[in-house]
Amino acid sequence: MTAYAKFVDVTICTGCRGCMVACKNWNDLPIDTQAYNGTYQSHDKCDGKTWNVLQMKEFETASGGFEWLFRHQACFHCTDAACEKVCPENAITTTDMGNVVIDQEKCVGCSYCVYNCPFEIVALADYVNEDGKIVQRAQKCDMCDSRIHEGLVPACSQTCPLDAIVFGTKEEMRKLAEERLAIAKEKFPNAMIYDPPGVDGTNMFYLLPEGPEAFDLPVNPKVPTSAVIWKDYAQPLGKMALGGTVMAVATAFITNKLFNKGHGHDEEGGDIDESTKE
Amino acid sequence: MKAQKNEQMVHRFNKGFIVSHWVQAISFFALYITALPLYTDFFSFLYPVFGGPEGARLLHRIFAVFFMLPFFVLLIFDRQGLVNWTKRILTWKKNDFSFFLAFPKEFFVGNDKVPKQDFFNAGEKLNSLLIIVTTLMLIGSGLILWFPANFSQSVVQWGITIHVVGFSLAMLTVVAHIFLSTFHPNSKASLRGIIKGDVPVSYAKEHHGQWYDELVEKGEIVEEKKKSKGA
Repeated sequence: MTAYAKFVDVTICTGCRGCMVACKNWNDLPIDTQAYNGTYQSHDKCDGKTWNVLQMKEFETASGGFEWLFRHQACFHCTDAACEKVCPENAITTTDMGNVVIDQEKCVGCSYCVYNCPFEIVALADYVNEDGKIVQRAQKCDMCDSRIHEGLVPACSQTCPLDAIVFGTKEEMRKLAEERLAIAKEKFPNAMIYDPPGVDGTNMFYLLPEGPEAFDLPVNPKVPTSAVIWKDYAQPLGKMALGGTVMAVATAFITNKLFNKGHGHDEEGGDIDESTKE
Repeated sequence: MKAQKNEQMVHRFNKGFIVSHWVQAISFFALYITALPLYTDFFSFLYPVFGGPEGARLLHRIFAVFFMLPFFVLLIFDRQGLVNWTKRILTWKKNDFSFFLAFPKEFFVGNDKVPKQDFFNAGEKLNSLLIIVTTLMLIGSGLILWFPANFSQSVVQWGITIHVVGFSLAMLTVVAHIFLSTFHPNSKASLRGIIKGDVPVSYAKEHHGQWYDELVEKGEIVEEKKKSKGA
């Protein structure tokens, strides 16, 4: 298995939002008009209907200058994906190319992935199921699974006029990111590659002109500790303990039948005066 | 336990206590089953039974309301039972601790040398405490998961984990509790106490010696003068 990655060079993005349009188009996503909230940004954040959002931040540089920061926000396709870990239906899987996809027919809409995504990307949205009923199912960017498995690049990458979204093997993309970082450093001294190790790296990763805080990104995202306790300890131990208890009870049932001579009260009593009250 | 003819009975639980117990028991199992497919997908076949995941979620919330009732049933209809229960399960003396040394033998083959026990034996005390703790865990975290919009993401994350730990622990307790109260030859006489409200005096004497002594002291029952064989 070769991991593929989508590399997003935030330092050269001009905020044209072509990626948003291409994504809606290829993935047949519904229009979701959100009220004007005082910024140029069209949507608050990614959700089940809008799989990528162009984040627009007004940034004040150290020297007091002004800088527009434009970031293509979408699923990070974590190598250690918390959503996949917590999904009770095995509806979320990592493909052989390293992208994390959701099988909407297996999804039951429990929201565990929604609560545990370190980047708050995955969300519930309308989905028409087999019976033609509209139900709420977890949805997010699948890195255009239908395209990349046919040798194409994701729709956002295809449409990006500036090579700010590039798709290839993770190795190639890391190399490209290092090259771009060297160039970006001249203009943005704080530039960095954001490929967080807390989730074993992500298959959508950034070259950021400023630290992650400037983009409201978590500095050290990781699979929530509660999810590790839940899935790696509480659940397997709980199942073992239940099995153990049932076995113990079954054993006791048999051993009592065989060996308990019975000191039960049945042998006693009978002529005691009953004068009970409350 | 079927009461034998002429068997002397002693009152153990009021109606409110009994209703409270069974509301808790039935809603616990209903909640367990309606959420089981989320715990292990081996039980995914249950979804169609409940009308799909949406139906299961709705049923889970309906039973959740019943699950929150038992305390209030006690508070309104059997405050005396509530006080008695609370007081006694929080009282731990030497005999309570030594109960657990004698318990393994009692559990598997029966043991004549179990130290004299209170109105609730140490096992029942532990059972009560575990059920109270897990119930509070389940209700607290359950409300968070029911209304996640009112809580931060990390609170909701811990809510799920606490819910899982809560029902896992509760189920262990419940399995042991049901076995001891329904299938164990020495203690199954107690089941009548939580259905009809009374238990045989002989059972009280044998399994709850301290309570029996209290009853005798208060004159609520007359101590048997000599041991005699019953029917």
